[in-house]
Amino acid sequence: MTNSDTTCEAFDAALPDYLEGTLDGSLRASVEQHLRECVRCASLVRDIENIRKEAAALPDLVPSRDLWTGIEARIAAPIIPLAARPERQRRFLPAWMGIAAAALIVGTAGVTYTLTARSFRPGVDTKVAMGSPPPSATQPTNAATQGGAAAAEPGGAGAPQNSADQSAGSGIALTPTAPSRPGIPASLASQNTQSGPSQSEAVYGKEIEMLQNIVRQRKTQLDSSTVAIIEKNLQIIDAAIEQSKAALMKDPASMLLSQQLTHALDKKVELLRTAAMLPAST
Amino acid sequence: MAAGSNVVPVAMGDSTDVALAAAGDRQAFERLYRTHANRVFSLCTRMCGSRAKGEELTQDVFVRTWEKLPQFRGDSAFSTWLHRLAVNVVLNDRKTEGKQASRMDEGDGSDERWDEGARAPMYIERMDLAEAIAKLPAGARKVFVLHDVEGYKHEEIAEMCGITSGGSKAQLHRARLLLRGVLER
Repeated sequence: MTNSDTTCEAFDAALPDYLEGTLDGSLRASVEQHLRECVRCASLVRDIENIRKEAAALPDLVPSRDLWTGIEARIAAPIIPLAARPERQRRFLPAWMGIAAAALIVGTAGVTYTLTARSFRPGVDTKVAMGSPPPSATQPTNAATQGGAAAAEPGGAGAPQNSADQSAGSGIALTPTAPSRPGIPASLASQNTQSGPSQSEAVYGKEIEMLQNIVRQRKTQLDSSTVAIIEKNLQIIDAAIEQSKAALMKDPASMLLSQQLTHALDKKVELLRTAAMLPAST
Repeated sequence: MAAGSNVVPVAMGDSTDVALAAAGDRQAFERLYRTHANRVFSLCTRMCGSRAKGEELTQDVFVRTWEKLPQFRGDSAFSTWLHRLAVNVVLNDRKTEGKQASRMDEGDGSDERWDEGARAPMYIERMDLAEAIAKLPAGARKVFVLHDVEGYKHEEIAEMCGITSGGSKAQLHRARLLLRGVLER
Protein backbone atom coordinates (compact mmCIF):
# COMPACT_ATOMS: atom_id res chain seq x y z
CA MET A 1 0.00 0.00 0.00
CA THR A 2 1.03 3.60 -0.50
CA ASN A 3 -0.01 7.01 0.64
CA SER A 4 -1.72 7.70 -2.66
CA ASP A 5 -5.39 6.96 -3.22
CA THR A 6 -4.62 4.34 -5.82
CA THR A 7 -4.38 0.74 -4.64
CA CYS A 8 -2.28 -1.92 -6.35
CA GLU A 9 -5.48 -3.55 -7.65
CA ALA A 10 -6.63 -0.26 -9.13
CA PHE A 11 -3.17 0.25 -10.56
CA ASP A 12 -3.24 -3.17 -12.20
CA ALA A 13 -6.57 -2.35 -13.77
CA ALA A 14 -5.29 0.94 -15.11
CA LEU A 15 -1.92 -0.43 -16.23
CA PRO A 16 -2.81 -1.35 -19.83
CA ASP A 17 -4.13 2.13 -20.53
CA TYR A 18 -1.22 3.66 -18.67
CA LEU A 19 1.25 1.78 -20.83
CA GLU A 20 -0.72 2.78 -23.92
CA GLY A 21 -0.65 6.37 -22.79
CA THR A 22 -4.39 6.66 -22.98
CA LEU A 23 -5.15 7.51 -19.34
CA ASP A 24 -6.70 10.90 -18.74
CA GLY A 25 -4.82 13.53 -16.77
CA SER A 26 -6.07 13.06 -13.21
CA LEU A 27 -5.99 9.27 -13.30
CA ARG A 28 -2.58 9.32 -14.86
CA ALA A 29 -1.26 11.57 -12.14
CA SER A 30 -2.70 9.26 -9.50
CA VAL A 31 -1.11 6.20 -11.12
CA GLU A 32 2.26 7.93 -11.39
CA GLN A 33 2.04 8.91 -7.76
CA HIS A 34 1.39 5.28 -6.86
CA LEU A 35 4.35 4.22 -8.96
CA ARG A 36 6.66 6.49 -7.05
CA GLU A 37 5.58 4.94 -3.76
CA CYS A 38 4.99 1.26 -4.58
CA VAL A 39 8.01 -0.94 -5.25
CA ARG A 40 5.93 -3.86 -6.50
CA CYS A 41 4.08 -1.84 -9.13
CA ALA A 42 7.18 0.09 -10.15
CA SER A 43 9.00 -3.17 -10.71
CA LEU A 44 6.10 -4.45 -12.79
CA VAL A 45 6.10 -1.42 -15.03
CA ARG A 46 9.87 -1.50 -15.38
CA ASP A 47 9.84 -5.16 -16.39
CA ILE A 48 7.10 -4.65 -18.96
CA GLU A 49 8.89 -1.65 -20.42
CA ASN A 50 12.02 -3.77 -20.74
CA ILE A 51 10.05 -6.49 -22.51
CA ARG A 52 8.63 -3.93 -24.91
CA LYS A 53 12.07 -2.54 -25.70
CA GLU A 54 13.62 -5.93 -26.07
CA ALA A 55 10.77 -7.13 -28.31
CA ALA A 56 11.07 -4.11 -30.57
CA ALA A 57 14.80 -4.75 -30.89
CA LEU A 58 14.60 -8.43 -31.65
CA PRO A 59 16.90 -9.23 -34.57
CA ASP A 60 15.59 -10.76 -37.77
CA LEU A 61 15.69 -14.51 -37.93
CA VAL A 62 17.36 -16.33 -40.80
CA PRO A 63 15.84 -19.44 -42.40
CA SER A 64 17.88 -22.58 -41.99
CA ARG A 65 17.77 -23.23 -45.76
CA ASP A 66 17.33 -21.36 -48.98
CA LEU A 67 13.60 -21.01 -49.44
CA TRP A 68 13.84 -19.45 -52.89
CA THR A 69 14.18 -22.78 -54.68
CA GLY A 70 10.79 -23.90 -53.46
CA ILE A 71 9.22 -20.54 -54.20
CA GLU A 72 10.67 -20.46 -57.69
CA ALA A 73 9.42 -23.95 -58.42
CA ARG A 74 5.93 -22.97 -57.37
CA ILE A 75 5.70 -19.72 -59.27
CA ALA A 76 7.24 -21.31 -62.35
CA ALA A 77 4.68 -24.09 -62.51
CA PRO A 78 3.25 -24.02 -66.02
CA ILE A 79 -0.39 -23.29 -66.58
CA ILE A 80 -1.85 -25.80 -69.01
CA PRO A 81 -4.31 -24.06 -71.30
CA LEU A 82 -7.66 -25.71 -71.80
CA ALA A 83 -7.20 -25.38 -75.55
CA ALA A 84 -4.55 -28.09 -75.39
CA ARG A 85 -7.20 -30.75 -74.91
CA PRO A 86 -7.77 -33.09 -77.84
CA GLU A 87 -10.14 -31.82 -80.47
CA ARG A 88 -11.97 -35.11 -80.66
CA GLN A 89 -12.95 -34.98 -77.02
CA ARG A 90 -14.28 -31.51 -77.35
CA ARG A 91 -16.54 -32.61 -80.14
CA PHE A 92 -17.68 -35.73 -78.41
CA LEU A 93 -18.82 -34.15 -75.20
CA PRO A 94 -21.34 -31.72 -76.67
CA ALA A 95 -22.77 -34.47 -78.90
CA TRP A 96 -23.18 -36.79 -75.98
CA MET A 97 -24.70 -34.08 -73.88
CA GLY A 98 -27.06 -33.17 -76.68
CA ILE A 99 -28.34 -36.73 -76.93
CA ALA A 100 -28.66 -36.96 -73.19
CA ALA A 101 -30.57 -33.70 -73.10
CA ALA A 102 -32.86 -34.84 -75.89
CA ALA A 103 -33.48 -38.11 -74.10
CA LEU A 104 -34.21 -36.28 -70.92
CA ILE A 105 -36.71 -34.07 -72.68
CA VAL A 106 -38.32 -36.96 -74.49
CA GLY A 107 -38.39 -39.31 -71.56
CA THR A 108 -39.25 -37.15 -68.59
CA ALA A 109 -40.47 -33.74 -69.63
CA GLY A 110 -42.92 -35.26 -72.06
CA VAL A 111 -44.30 -37.56 -69.43
CA THR A 112 -44.54 -34.79 -66.90
CA TYR A 113 -46.23 -32.44 -69.31
CA THR A 114 -48.73 -34.99 -70.41
CA LEU A 115 -49.45 -36.07 -66.87
CA THR A 116 -50.13 -32.56 -65.71
CA ALA A 117 -51.91 -31.18 -68.76
CA ARG A 118 -53.51 -33.81 -70.88
CA SER A 119 -54.76 -36.04 -68.12
CA PHE A 120 -57.09 -33.33 -66.85
CA ARG A 121 -58.55 -32.43 -70.23
CA PRO A 122 -61.78 -34.19 -71.11
CA GLY A 123 -60.71 -35.61 -74.39
CA VAL A 124 -62.01 -37.70 -77.15
CA ASP A 125 -59.81 -40.57 -76.05
CA THR A 126 -61.64 -40.98 -72.80
CA LYS A 127 -65.00 -40.93 -74.43
CA VAL A 128 -63.95 -43.43 -76.98
CA ALA A 129 -62.38 -45.65 -74.41
CA MET A 130 -65.29 -45.49 -72.07
CA GLY A 131 -67.88 -45.52 -74.75
CA SER A 132 -66.47 -48.37 -76.69
CA PRO A 133 -67.70 -51.88 -76.08
CA PRO A 134 -65.56 -54.34 -74.22
CA PRO A 135 -62.52 -54.94 -76.29
CA SER A 136 -62.83 -57.55 -78.87
CA ALA A 137 -60.19 -60.02 -79.63
CA THR A 138 -59.20 -58.11 -82.72
CA GLN A 139 -58.25 -54.92 -80.95
CA PRO A 140 -54.97 -56.15 -79.54
CA THR A 141 -54.22 -57.65 -82.87
CA ASN A 142 -54.79 -54.33 -84.62
CA ALA A 143 -52.67 -52.56 -82.14
CA ALA A 144 -50.00 -55.10 -82.52
CA THR A 145 -50.12 -54.67 -86.23
CA GLN A 146 -49.67 -50.95 -85.85
CA GLY A 147 -46.80 -51.56 -83.51
CA GLY A 148 -45.27 -53.83 -86.03
CA ALA A 149 -45.59 -51.15 -88.67
CA ALA A 150 -43.83 -48.75 -86.41
CA ALA A 151 -41.10 -51.25 -85.83
CA ALA A 152 -40.68 -51.62 -89.54
CA GLU A 153 -39.78 -47.93 -89.76
CA PRO A 154 -37.17 -47.47 -87.06
CA GLY A 155 -36.55 -43.98 -86.04
CA GLY A 156 -39.40 -42.64 -88.10
CA ALA A 157 -41.07 -39.52 -86.98
CA GLY A 158 -44.38 -41.26 -87.01
CA ALA A 159 -43.71 -43.54 -84.08
CA PRO A 160 -45.19 -41.39 -81.32
CA GLN A 161 -48.09 -40.43 -83.52
CA ASN A 162 -48.69 -44.06 -84.22
CA SER A 163 -48.79 -44.82 -80.54
CA ALA A 164 -51.27 -42.05 -79.84
CA ASP A 165 -53.53 -43.15 -82.60
CA GLN A 166 -53.40 -46.67 -81.38
CA SER A 167 -54.20 -45.69 -77.83
CA ALA A 168 -57.14 -43.58 -78.84
CA GLY A 169 -58.72 -46.27 -80.85
CA SER A 170 -58.39 -49.33 -78.74
CA GLY A 171 -58.58 -48.58 -75.04
CA ILE A 172 -55.14 -48.72 -73.61
CA ALA A 173 -55.68 -50.67 -70.50
CA LEU A 174 -56.61 -53.59 -72.60
CA THR A 175 -54.12 -53.01 -75.36
CA PRO A 176 -50.63 -54.43 -75.39
CA THR A 177 -47.81 -51.99 -75.75
CA ALA A 178 -46.89 -51.28 -79.33
CA PRO A 179 -43.14 -51.01 -79.37
CA SER A 180 -41.19 -49.65 -82.26
CA ARG A 181 -38.14 -51.68 -81.33
CA PRO A 182 -38.41 -55.41 -81.77
CA GLY A 183 -38.94 -57.85 -79.03
CA ILE A 184 -39.63 -55.80 -75.94
CA PRO A 185 -43.15 -56.93 -75.15
CA ALA A 186 -43.47 -60.65 -75.63
CA SER A 187 -46.71 -60.22 -77.51
CA LEU A 188 -44.89 -58.41 -80.28
CA ALA A 189 -41.58 -60.09 -80.16
CA SER A 190 -42.59 -62.78 -82.56
CA GLN A 191 -43.50 -60.25 -85.19
CA ASN A 192 -40.01 -58.94 -85.54
CA THR A 193 -37.29 -61.14 -86.87
CA GLN A 194 -34.50 -58.60 -86.98
CA SER A 195 -33.21 -59.43 -83.55
CA GLY A 196 -34.36 -61.38 -80.57
CA PRO A 197 -35.50 -59.67 -77.38
CA SER A 198 -33.19 -59.36 -74.45
CA GLN A 199 -34.04 -61.37 -71.42
CA SER A 200 -35.23 -58.35 -69.47
CA GLU A 201 -37.36 -57.13 -72.33
CA ALA A 202 -38.96 -60.53 -72.64
CA VAL A 203 -39.70 -60.54 -68.93
CA TYR A 204 -41.30 -57.12 -69.19
CA GLY A 205 -43.37 -58.20 -72.15
CA LYS A 206 -44.58 -61.33 -70.45
CA GLU A 207 -45.43 -59.49 -67.24
CA ILE A 208 -47.27 -56.72 -69.05
CA GLU A 209 -49.25 -59.14 -71.15
CA MET A 210 -50.30 -61.14 -68.12
CA LEU A 211 -51.34 -58.05 -66.19
CA GLN A 212 -53.21 -56.64 -69.14
CA ASN A 213 -55.23 -59.83 -69.34
CA ILE A 214 -56.15 -59.55 -65.68
CA VAL A 215 -57.12 -55.91 -66.00
CA ARG A 216 -59.13 -56.68 -69.09
CA GLN A 217 -61.09 -59.31 -67.20
CA ARG A 218 -61.63 -56.99 -64.25
CA LYS A 219 -62.70 -53.99 -66.27
CA THR A 220 -66.40 -54.52 -65.71
CA GLN A 221 -65.83 -54.77 -61.95
CA LEU A 222 -64.15 -51.36 -61.73
CA ASP A 223 -65.66 -47.92 -61.63
CA SER A 224 -65.76 -46.37 -65.07
CA SER A 225 -63.93 -43.24 -63.99
CA THR A 226 -61.19 -45.36 -62.45
CA VAL A 227 -60.85 -47.26 -65.69
CA ALA A 228 -60.66 -44.00 -67.59
CA ILE A 229 -57.82 -42.77 -65.40
CA ILE A 230 -55.95 -46.02 -65.74
CA GLU A 231 -56.33 -45.93 -69.49
CA LYS A 232 -55.18 -42.35 -69.65
CA ASN A 233 -52.10 -43.03 -67.61
CA LEU A 234 -51.28 -46.08 -69.65
CA GLN A 235 -51.52 -43.97 -72.79
CA ILE A 236 -49.02 -41.56 -71.34
CA ILE A 237 -46.64 -44.30 -70.32
CA ASP A 238 -46.96 -45.97 -73.70
CA ALA A 239 -46.12 -42.69 -75.38
CA ALA A 240 -43.02 -42.39 -73.21
CA ILE A 241 -42.04 -45.95 -74.07
CA GLU A 242 -42.42 -45.22 -77.76
CA GLN A 243 -40.37 -42.05 -77.52
CA SER A 244 -37.61 -43.82 -75.65
CA LYS A 245 -37.52 -46.55 -78.22
CA ALA A 246 -37.42 -44.08 -81.07
CA ALA A 247 -34.49 -42.32 -79.45
CA LEU A 248 -32.77 -45.65 -78.86
CA MET A 249 -33.05 -46.46 -82.54
CA LYS A 250 -30.89 -43.42 -83.21
CA ASP A 251 -28.49 -44.06 -80.37
CA PRO A 252 -28.63 -47.76 -79.45
CA ALA A 253 -25.60 -47.53 -77.15
CA SER A 254 -27.08 -44.89 -74.89
CA MET A 255 -27.24 -46.08 -71.33
CA LEU A 256 -29.42 -43.16 -70.40
CA LEU A 257 -32.04 -44.03 -72.99
CA SER A 258 -32.01 -47.67 -71.97
CA GLN A 259 -32.56 -46.67 -68.39
CA GLN A 260 -35.34 -44.35 -69.45
CA LEU A 261 -37.06 -47.16 -71.34
CA THR A 262 -36.68 -49.49 -68.39
CA HIS A 263 -38.11 -46.86 -66.12
CA ALA A 264 -41.17 -46.41 -68.34
CA LEU A 265 -41.70 -50.15 -68.55
CA ASP A 266 -41.45 -50.36 -64.77
CA LYS A 267 -44.09 -47.67 -64.48
CA LYS A 268 -46.39 -49.55 -66.81
CA VAL A 269 -45.99 -52.79 -64.86
CA GLU A 270 -46.56 -50.95 -61.61
CA LEU A 271 -49.73 -49.30 -62.86
CA LEU A 272 -51.12 -52.53 -64.28
CA ARG A 273 -50.40 -54.33 -61.03
CA THR A 274 -52.19 -51.62 -59.10
CA ALA A 275 -55.16 -51.84 -61.44
CA ALA A 276 -55.23 -55.61 -61.20
CA MET A 277 -55.42 -55.46 -57.43
CA LEU A 278 -58.01 -52.70 -57.12
CA PRO A 279 -61.12 -53.68 -55.19
CA ALA A 280 -64.35 -54.00 -57.16
CA SER A 281 -66.54 -50.90 -57.21
CA THR A 282 -69.68 -51.04 -55.12
CA MET B 1 20.54 -13.77 -46.73
CA ALA B 2 19.94 -17.43 -47.10
CA ALA B 3 22.83 -19.56 -48.09
CA GLY B 4 23.05 -21.47 -51.31
CA SER B 5 22.12 -18.80 -53.80
CA ASN B 6 24.39 -18.35 -56.79
CA VAL B 7 22.44 -15.37 -58.03
CA VAL B 8 24.07 -12.03 -57.49
CA PRO B 9 21.23 -9.61 -57.01
CA VAL B 10 21.60 -6.27 -58.68
CA ALA B 11 21.16 -3.42 -56.26
CA MET B 12 17.96 -1.66 -57.15
CA GLY B 13 15.21 0.05 -55.30
CA ASP B 14 12.11 -1.90 -54.38
CA SER B 15 9.96 0.12 -56.72
CA THR B 16 11.90 -0.89 -59.81
CA ASP B 17 11.96 -4.53 -58.86
CA VAL B 18 8.32 -4.43 -57.89
CA ALA B 19 7.40 -3.11 -61.31
CA LEU B 20 9.57 -5.66 -63.05
CA ALA B 21 8.31 -8.52 -60.92
CA ALA B 22 4.72 -7.49 -61.44
CA ALA B 23 5.39 -7.79 -65.15
CA GLY B 24 6.66 -11.34 -64.66
CA ASP B 25 10.38 -10.82 -64.15
CA ARG B 26 11.42 -13.64 -61.82
CA GLN B 27 14.91 -12.30 -61.27
CA ALA B 28 13.47 -9.05 -60.02
CA PHE B 29 11.17 -10.99 -57.79
CA GLU B 30 14.07 -12.99 -56.43
CA ARG B 31 15.80 -9.74 -55.55
CA LEU B 32 12.70 -8.69 -53.65
CA TYR B 33 12.72 -12.03 -51.90
CA ARG B 34 16.38 -11.66 -50.92
CA THR B 35 15.69 -8.23 -49.53
CA HIS B 36 12.66 -9.14 -47.45
CA ALA B 37 12.94 -12.87 -46.76
CA ASN B 38 14.43 -12.62 -43.27
CA ARG B 39 11.93 -10.07 -42.11
CA VAL B 40 9.03 -12.12 -43.42
CA PHE B 41 10.50 -15.30 -41.99
CA SER B 42 10.88 -13.63 -38.60
CA LEU B 43 7.30 -12.47 -38.65
CA CYS B 44 5.96 -15.87 -39.70
CA THR B 45 8.09 -17.79 -37.22
CA ARG B 46 7.27 -15.57 -34.28
CA MET B 47 3.59 -15.52 -35.05
CA CYS B 48 3.27 -19.28 -35.43
CA GLY B 49 5.87 -20.23 -32.83
CA SER B 50 7.77 -22.69 -35.01
CA ARG B 51 10.77 -22.26 -37.30
CA ALA B 52 9.77 -25.13 -39.56
CA LYS B 53 6.28 -23.77 -39.94
CA GLY B 54 7.75 -20.32 -40.35
CA GLU B 55 9.76 -21.49 -43.36
CA GLU B 56 6.73 -23.09 -44.90
CA LEU B 57 4.68 -19.96 -44.36
CA THR B 58 7.43 -17.75 -45.74
CA GLN B 59 7.30 -19.66 -49.00
CA ASP B 60 3.53 -19.33 -49.02
CA VAL B 61 3.86 -15.60 -48.46
CA PHE B 62 6.17 -15.09 -51.42
CA VAL B 63 4.14 -17.28 -53.73
CA ARG B 64 1.10 -15.28 -52.72
CA THR B 65 3.06 -12.09 -53.24
CA TRP B 66 3.96 -13.19 -56.78
CA GLU B 67 0.31 -13.81 -57.51
CA LYS B 68 -0.85 -10.56 -55.98
CA LEU B 69 1.93 -8.32 -57.16
CA PRO B 70 0.09 -7.09 -60.27
CA GLN B 71 -2.57 -5.74 -57.90
CA PHE B 72 -0.07 -3.73 -55.85
CA ARG B 73 -0.88 -0.11 -56.58
CA GLY B 74 1.87 1.53 -54.58
CA ASP B 75 -0.47 3.24 -52.13
CA SER B 76 1.93 2.19 -49.38
CA ALA B 77 5.54 1.06 -49.29
CA PHE B 78 6.10 -2.38 -50.75
CA SER B 79 7.49 -3.62 -47.43
CA THR B 80 4.37 -2.48 -45.61
CA TRP B 81 2.17 -4.19 -48.18
CA LEU B 82 4.28 -7.33 -48.04
CA HIS B 83 4.22 -7.58 -44.25
CA ARG B 84 0.50 -7.07 -44.17
CA LEU B 85 0.12 -9.82 -46.72
CA ALA B 86 2.39 -12.03 -44.61
CA VAL B 87 0.26 -11.45 -41.54
CA ASN B 88 -2.84 -12.41 -43.49
CA VAL B 89 -1.20 -15.56 -44.80
CA VAL B 90 -0.26 -16.61 -41.27
CA LEU B 91 -3.68 -15.82 -39.86
CA ASN B 92 -5.47 -17.56 -42.72
CA ASP B 93 -3.24 -20.58 -42.34
CA ARG B 94 -4.25 -20.91 -38.75
CA LYS B 95 -7.90 -20.51 -39.65
CA THR B 96 -7.56 -23.18 -42.31
CA GLU B 97 -5.86 -25.57 -39.99
CA GLY B 98 -8.34 -24.78 -37.27
CA LYS B 99 -5.55 -24.73 -34.75
CA GLN B 100 -6.49 -23.11 -31.51
CA ALA B 101 -8.97 -20.88 -33.30
CA SER B 102 -10.92 -20.38 -30.14
CA ARG B 103 -7.85 -18.98 -28.48
CA MET B 104 -8.22 -15.81 -30.46
CA ASP B 105 -11.44 -15.25 -28.57
CA GLU B 106 -11.25 -12.08 -26.65
CA GLY B 107 -10.70 -12.23 -22.96
CA ASP B 108 -10.15 -15.98 -22.80
CA GLY B 109 -8.46 -16.68 -19.54
CA SER B 110 -7.25 -20.17 -20.14
CA ASP B 111 -4.89 -21.78 -22.55
CA GLU B 112 -3.69 -25.32 -22.22
CA ARG B 113 -0.53 -24.70 -24.19
CA TRP B 114 0.47 -21.85 -21.98
CA ASP B 115 -0.44 -23.77 -18.87
CA GLU B 116 2.20 -26.27 -19.87
CA GLY B 117 4.68 -23.58 -20.76
CA ALA B 118 4.00 -21.61 -17.62
CA ARG B 119 4.92 -24.50 -15.42
CA ALA B 120 7.95 -25.43 -17.45
CA PRO B 121 10.00 -22.31 -16.67
CA MET B 122 10.08 -23.34 -13.05
CA TYR B 123 12.65 -25.91 -14.10
CA ILE B 124 14.46 -23.87 -16.71
CA GLU B 125 17.53 -21.96 -15.73
CA ARG B 126 17.19 -19.21 -18.29
CA MET B 127 14.82 -18.45 -21.10
CA ASP B 128 15.30 -15.62 -23.54
CA LEU B 129 12.52 -13.51 -24.91
CA ALA B 130 12.33 -15.28 -28.26
CA GLU B 131 11.81 -18.64 -26.59
CA ALA B 132 9.27 -17.19 -24.22
CA ILE B 133 7.32 -15.62 -27.07
CA ALA B 134 7.17 -18.98 -28.83
CA LYS B 135 5.59 -20.50 -25.73
CA LEU B 136 2.85 -17.91 -25.41
CA PRO B 137 -0.75 -18.90 -26.11
CA ALA B 138 -1.53 -18.43 -29.78
CA GLY B 139 -3.86 -15.47 -29.40
CA ALA B 140 -1.62 -13.60 -26.99
CA ARG B 141 1.47 -14.43 -29.06
CA LYS B 142 0.06 -13.06 -32.27
CA VAL B 143 -1.05 -9.83 -30.71
CA PHE B 144 2.25 -9.42 -28.87
CA VAL B 145 4.29 -10.04 -32.03
CA LEU B 146 2.15 -7.74 -34.11
CA HIS B 147 2.16 -4.95 -31.53
CA ASP B 148 5.42 -5.05 -29.63
CA VAL B 149 7.66 -6.63 -32.28
CA GLU B 150 6.14 -5.46 -35.57
CA GLY B 151 4.73 -2.18 -34.35
CA TYR B 152 1.14 -2.51 -35.53
CA LYS B 153 -1.53 -0.48 -33.73
CA HIS B 154 -4.36 -2.10 -31.84
CA GLU B 155 -6.87 -0.94 -34.43
CA GLU B 156 -4.87 -2.62 -37.19
CA ILE B 157 -4.43 -5.80 -35.18
CA ALA B 158 -8.13 -5.87 -34.37
CA GLU B 159 -8.98 -5.63 -38.04
CA MET B 160 -6.50 -8.28 -39.09
CA CYS B 161 -7.38 -10.74 -36.34
CA GLY B 162 -11.10 -10.13 -36.39
CA ILE B 163 -11.25 -8.94 -32.79
CA THR B 164 -11.97 -5.62 -31.14
CA SER B 165 -9.37 -3.07 -30.25
CA GLY B 166 -10.12 -3.71 -26.59
CA GLY B 167 -9.60 -7.42 -27.12
CA SER B 168 -6.24 -6.71 -28.69
CA LYS B 169 -5.22 -4.60 -25.70
CA ALA B 170 -6.31 -7.32 -23.31
CA GLN B 171 -4.36 -9.98 -25.18
CA LEU B 172 -1.29 -7.79 -25.27
CA HIS B 173 -1.38 -7.10 -21.57
CA ARG B 174 -1.89 -10.75 -20.85
CA ALA B 175 1.07 -11.64 -23.05
CA ARG B 176 3.33 -9.12 -21.32
CA LEU B 177 2.40 -10.36 -17.88
CA LEU B 178 2.94 -13.97 -18.95
CA LEU B 179 6.31 -13.09 -20.42
CA ARG B 180 7.33 -11.25 -17.29
CA GLY B 181 6.40 -14.26 -15.22
CA VAL B 182 8.45 -16.56 -17.41
CA LEU B 183 11.45 -14.29 -17.68
CA GLU B 184 11.67 -13.61 -13.95
CA ARG B 185 14.70 -15.28 -12.53
